[in-house]
Amino acid sequence: MSNYKILSKEAHKDLRVNTERSAAYGDNIMYTMTFPMEFRDIQSCYPIFFCKDPESGQLYPAALLGLEQDQNLFLSDSGWDASYIPMMIRRHPFLIGFQADPDGAEGATKPVVSIDSDSPRLIDSSEKQSSEKEGSSEKGEALFNQDGTASDFLQSSIGTLESIHRGLEHNKGFIAALLEHQLLESFTLQITLNDGSNNELAGFYTIAEQKLQSLDGETLAKFNAQGYLQSIYMAIASFARLRPMIDKKNAQLA
Amino acid sequence: MNHKINRVVIVGGGTAGWLSAGVIAAEHCIESQKGSPEDSFQLTLVESPDIATIGVGEGTWPSMRSTLQKMGISETEFFRECSASFKQGTLFKGWRTGADDIYTHPFTAPQSYTEVNLAPHWQTAREQINFAQAVSPQSALFADKLAPKQISTPEYAFNVNYGYHLDAAKFAEFLRKHCVEKLGVTHIKGNVTAINSADNGDIASIATDSHGNIEGDLFVDCSGSRALLLGQHFGIPLCSKNDVLFNNTALAAQIPYTDENDPIESCTLSTAQSAGWIWEIGLPTRRGIGHVYSSDHNTEERASEELLSYIASTVSEQAAAAATLRKVQFSPGHRAKFWHKNCVAIGMSAGFIEPLEASALVLVELSAAMIAEQLPANRQVMDLVAKRFNDKFLYRWDRIIEFLKLHYVLSQRRDTQYWRDNCEASSIPEQLTDLLALWRHQSPWHRDNNNVDDMFPSASFQYVLYGMDFETMPSQTQRRSEQAEGLRAGNLFQENMARTQQLQASLPSNRDLINKIYTFGFQKI
Repeated sequence: MSNYKILSKEAHKDLRVNTERSAAYGDNIMYTMTFPMEFRDIQSCYPIFFCKDPESGQLYPAALLGLEQDQNLFLSDSGWDASYIPMMIRRHPFLIGFQADPDGAEGATKPVVSIDSDSPRLIDSSEKQSSEKEGSSEKGEALFNQDGTASDFLQSSIGTLESIHRGLEHNKGFIAALLEHQLLESFTLQITLNDGSNNELAGFYTIAEQKLQSLDGETLAKFNAQGYLQSIYMAIASFARLRPMIDKKNAQLA
Repeated sequence: MNHKINRVVIVGGGTAGWLSAGVIAAEHCIESQKGSPEDSFQLTLVESPDIATIGVGEGTWPSMRSTLQKMGISETEFFRECSASFKQGTLFKGWRTGADDIYTHPFTAPQSYTEVNLAPHWQTAREQINFAQAVSPQSALFADKLAPKQISTPEYAFNVNYGYHLDAAKFAEFLRKHCVEKLGVTHIKGNVTAINSADNGDIASIATDSHGNIEGDLFVDCSGSRALLLGQHFGIPLCSKNDVLFNNTALAAQIPYTDENDPIESCTLSTAQSAGWIWEIGLPTRRGIGHVYSSDHNTEERASEELLSYIASTVSEQAAAAATLRKVQFSPGHRAKFWHKNCVAIGMSAGFIEPLEASALVLVELSAAMIAEQLPANRQVMDLVAKRFNDKFLYRWDRIIEFLKLHYVLSQRRDTQYWRDNCEASSIPEQLTDLLALWRHQSPWHRDNNNVDDMFPSASFQYVLYGMDFETMPSQTQRRSEQAEGLRAGNLFQENMARTQQLQASLPSNRDLINKIYTFGFQKI
């Protein structure tokens, strides 16, 4: 289970993060949230679908990684087998938390970097009675430099979190626009593998292409200006990535 | 005589009036009408600013979902504005023996009901498991006060079938806004002062104190039990059903929750009393609790004592002490006909009986739907449509009355005159007597619903009959079909158990889901 704490130099100065990709670190997931800002990279590797958060029923775009629960076809013994790793995978073990903003209006919050202190990725280098002087030879990435400044790794992770934060906001507008114009439809896909087994992809949504084709010029122009049009077509094009995933699964079965 | 029927005037603005307006307007009020403005369809609702709505019908059937959907209503907004909650059926207490006996009438039909009749197969296991639990997951779900769906389930869709509990006053106001703002209904506030007749005896117009004469081609009487048009003006009499269904008085109370996070029941509770029964309906904001009884069998004093003692034991002593009781009297029955000349009655003006199976609102839905669908093209064919309407709804009223009576005649209670009188043969409609004789030897199934206008599916009869311990004898002869079905039936009972557990594990509570609707809303897909 996750246990998020606000990241601090004091409490977390000796922590290192193992950045290997493996089922042991919770990477064996069937799909992960994605954002239009990374669609260009995502669609070159993964199909983009839409699904619902079970807690809120809210829709969000997702990159498909496997054909069934707890399956990630891009995980191999040597790590993550794709040219682009989704931001929501890369963010671990960090998350954006929110804390009260004393400078803001009442009830205002500000985003803060939080860390999952129970994440199996964390290595506490202070616990090791190691004679090594330099952390660089240790496993994983340090969060802080010797002088207490954020390491390059941490800075890049914070950059990812910031992108995710903007991406979440962007998703809201994108999804609202898709729903307003009834551009999402539910979709079930039956996949029969070479061994005869059936996988059913259910509970996902996809772009309603017929509706898309009947959009009026005004709406198309608006979507174009908002950048939604490109995202919509990338999502449609990403469908082509489903076939290589099925091939990959069949190859595993062979 | 052959002029078009395109001006409909509804008199009365309670739930019946606005629901009818919404159903008719959704079908006929179309912005870009062809032809001249005089040809376009107009729907006007005249509402008295001086008469308070009575607010009956806080429970609906599952039919309300499609009624709302057809009107273009967002289910999320409906929940947010009408204090609505989910209703999955009714739980009856004390009806069989007056002790702690319980049975349920869930909205979901038995497993694979279209293919297999599970009732005869359940008979052999009736000592081990009650009928409703054996054949449907729903009663276990509402025993746990669970919702019938998840927040990720699209609006109006479900895991198990459901209707609503709602705040009738808020519902009427919500429908008014929708009708006026979205469906193009004209709303006139005024009191009807006179009814002006045409030469043929039709209503030509109604005179109002605020807007003069309002002309119309068809007048819908939603004026409540006064039945201003059909009853007072046309003198269509009320057919009393007091000799079959004795309840004619209700005492109603609104009881706040002890804690605002108290669970909300997801079924109507109906608890039998000495001369009537007490309803309990859970809304997010309050419980509606009331006692409907026969004034011929009980005094108001004793009836209110029973009600307050119920509130004290199920809610708290304080709630009982603070309760204000509102008394409503009614004559159980319906008009001799509902559509006369160019006037049709919907709601309490058409008739009213005890709310035992929440039949009030569904009759409004069905009446309005038939008017919307079969709106006469001209005055000449109106009489034909009227005859159809009258035949259909007289049939429906008879079926409702029989089904309600069924709840009483199966009781083993003989502790009061009320329960003894209820089992008097003279009080039981003939067709019901016949059916009971038949059901001794064959359980109700699809063969019992040979009319599309039947109000209650045969599954409902099964739930009440077998819930009330009615026994259907095994077939006198060995039957190939039953033998062949035996294995299938066993599997269905197993499947039902598995499905019950799976739903119990995955469905949120009624309260939790309603809170999520407030926060997130349902998706349309």
